Amino acid sequence: MKHNESWDWEINAKTKWFDWNLREIVSYKDLLFRFVRRNLIASYQQTVLGPFWVFIQPVLTTLVYYIIFGKVVKISTGGIPPVLFYLSGILFWSFFSDCLNGTMYTFLQNASIFSKVYFPRLIVPVSNVISHSIRIGIQLLLFIIIYLYNIATIGMVGNYYIFITPFLLLLTAGFGLGGGLIISVFTAKYRDLDYALQFLLRLFMFATPVVYPASIVPEKYRFWYWLNPLTVITETFRAAYFSNEPVHYIRLTLCTIEVVGLLVLGITLFKKKELKIMDVV
Amino acid sequence: MIAIKVENISKLYRLGNTGTGRLREDIRFWLKRPNATRHLLWALKDINFDINQGEVMGFIGNNGAGKSTLLKIISSITTPTTGRISGRGSIASLLEVGSGFHGDLTGRENIYLNGNILGMKNHEIKNRFDEIIAFSGVEELIDTPVKHYSSGMYMRLAFAVAAHLNPEILIVDEVLAVGDVEFQRKCLGKMKEISGRKGKTVLFVSHNTQALQNLCDRVITLHKGNIIDMGRPADVITNYLKSADNNYLEQSYDAPASAPGNDYIRIKKIAIQYDTEIFDIRTPFSVKFEFWYNDPEPGILIAGIHLFNMAGECIFDVASKGAQLQAGLITGECLIPGNFLNNGAYYLSIVFVKDTTQRLFYFEGCLSFNIEDFRENTAWFGKWMGYVRPSFPVILNQQHVL
Repeated sequence: MKHNESWDWEINAKTKWFDWNLREIVSYKDLLFRFVRRNLIASYQQTVLGPFWVFIQPVLTTLVYYIIFGKVVKISTGGIPPVLFYLSGILFWSFFSDCLNGTMYTFLQNASIFSKVYFPRLIVPVSNVISHSIRIGIQLLLFIIIYLYNIATIGMVGNYYIFITPFLLLLTAGFGLGGGLIISVFTAKYRDLDYALQFLLRLFMFATPVVYPASIVPEKYRFWYWLNPLTVITETFRAAYFSNEPVHYIRLTLCTIEVVGLLVLGITLFKKKELKIMDVV
Repeated sequence: MIAIKVENISKLYRLGNTGTGRLREDIRFWLKRPNATRHLLWALKDINFDINQGEVMGFIGNNGAGKSTLLKIISSITTPTTGRISGRGSIASLLEVGSGFHGDLTGRENIYLNGNILGMKNHEIKNRFDEIIAFSGVEELIDTPVKHYSSGMYMRLAFAVAAHLNPEILIVDEVLAVGDVEFQRKCLGKMKEISGRKGKTVLFVSHNTQALQNLCDRVITLHKGNIIDMGRPADVITNYLKSADNNYLEQSYDAPASAPGNDYIRIKKIAIQYDTEIFDIRTPFSVKFEFWYNDPEPGILIAGIHLFNMAGECIFDVASKGAQLQAGLITGECLIPGNFLNNGAYYLSIVFVKDTTQRLFYFEGCLSFNIEDFRENTAWFGKWMGYVRPSFPVILNQQHVL
């Protein structure tokens, strides 16, 4: 009975490394976009201002940073108009931290559904990142409006490298997702990590040029400082919009390698552990 | 043709130890120190069976027998510790209904969300959308957020989506245990329709032996992670009911000192006895009791039996006639006829009263038992309504012929 040996699917005790099964994820694309839709609809239910919060959050944060870091502490913005300077830092930072936070609790937050239904678990964090991508897309429109207004009134320099923006967003999303996937495997098991991580995340924000320009970092720390992918991303963005300097390709390449490496590691670890982890959540 | 082949499946759970010491336990586990084996539990041990295409396989067993774990492994929700499962055909599992339902979304949105989660494509849901709404019976509220639904409507909508899944292999776990009688009837009807379709393979876990008997081609009994029985539903279910250990049918004590009671009454033995192999609604049974009576001033003694269902509602309260008894060993008996109580789980208490007012001893919840269902010549196999289940004749007469 030869035909009896051909099975459609198989479940084994050992899960393989590097078994990403992307074809399966593609076959669940309807679910992926359904989750994106749910995230967007559900997050503004029963709020008075609804989707306007997408704008209100970065605008308020910019205002606070402008007053504290710009007016009170008087940190240099490297000659960039302060509002645009803070807004650009905030947009990339919050996009990163939203992607990371949305991913790193995947197992904890979805424990009940993960213990009852099978679908590729990766759908959940990826849909999260896509929802946040839509939000930052809208927020960037706000940035561009303010940017164009500034060009019209005070005449700023910018250059064609602004077209690298989508790639920078992709890197940010990849960094948040990759890091989040790795962390998610551990937060499911060791809940203490939660406290430590939120603290580290706050520290990490200050290791990123959100409220100050990278140029004020002392020479001896610069090597390490530029290893942070978010430093490269934020500074490349600012250089493209606010200067006529070309993109620093070496830094950008290194940053891309770091992000891709993190993402590959994250997806591999996540896929390897996605089922086993449910026994301990 | 085999649809699912299960080979040597075992599942090991590590129990307890949340919180501190977790990391230490983990390291021990990795190092395979003998100490680490303390909190291990084999939920399944070396399970083997095949399910043919188009077969409806039922699973029965007590809580903790491993049924749910087995279904979770076959559904790819968790991985086995050892072994392999191979299968043919698309698979969908209903381990609960309404997975992923979001209160803030409308019924319509939730149908799509839940359908997608269960593996349906948008166009499949769209094609069956009208059917789903009609089945759920919540047409008017379909554009209202489901958090405003009553729990019954919520369940109906959830089941409606599940019922319109169309996989080649369907896995169902206890979802029928919820909802009102009307809803259960609808679900079971749909289950029968689904399992009756040609080529549809179904794996079905239930405590409802009647449903298992009606729907399944074969039934497997699991006990503490092992398959202890497999075969024709009628035989397997009968064996299972015979061995059922969820009953507490007897308590007996050798000496007054260790027996429950007080200075007046000590219980020697209390037991439920019946003569048949199976204890179902047809079975007459008796409650037999023996006690040591040691009242220095004996009066008129009455013994009463209170029967409760598991919801704690008293079904009946019967008492003996008053009797003038001397100190010593006394026996008593109460005979309860067949075709009287409805199926279900019950517990009983026994009470001793002196001179109609003074309660000497109340032995609460001393026995518990399960009355199984039995039906013939009926297609209806949801829960039968009512506290009692008499077989009074209901007679039809033809008066005219049109």
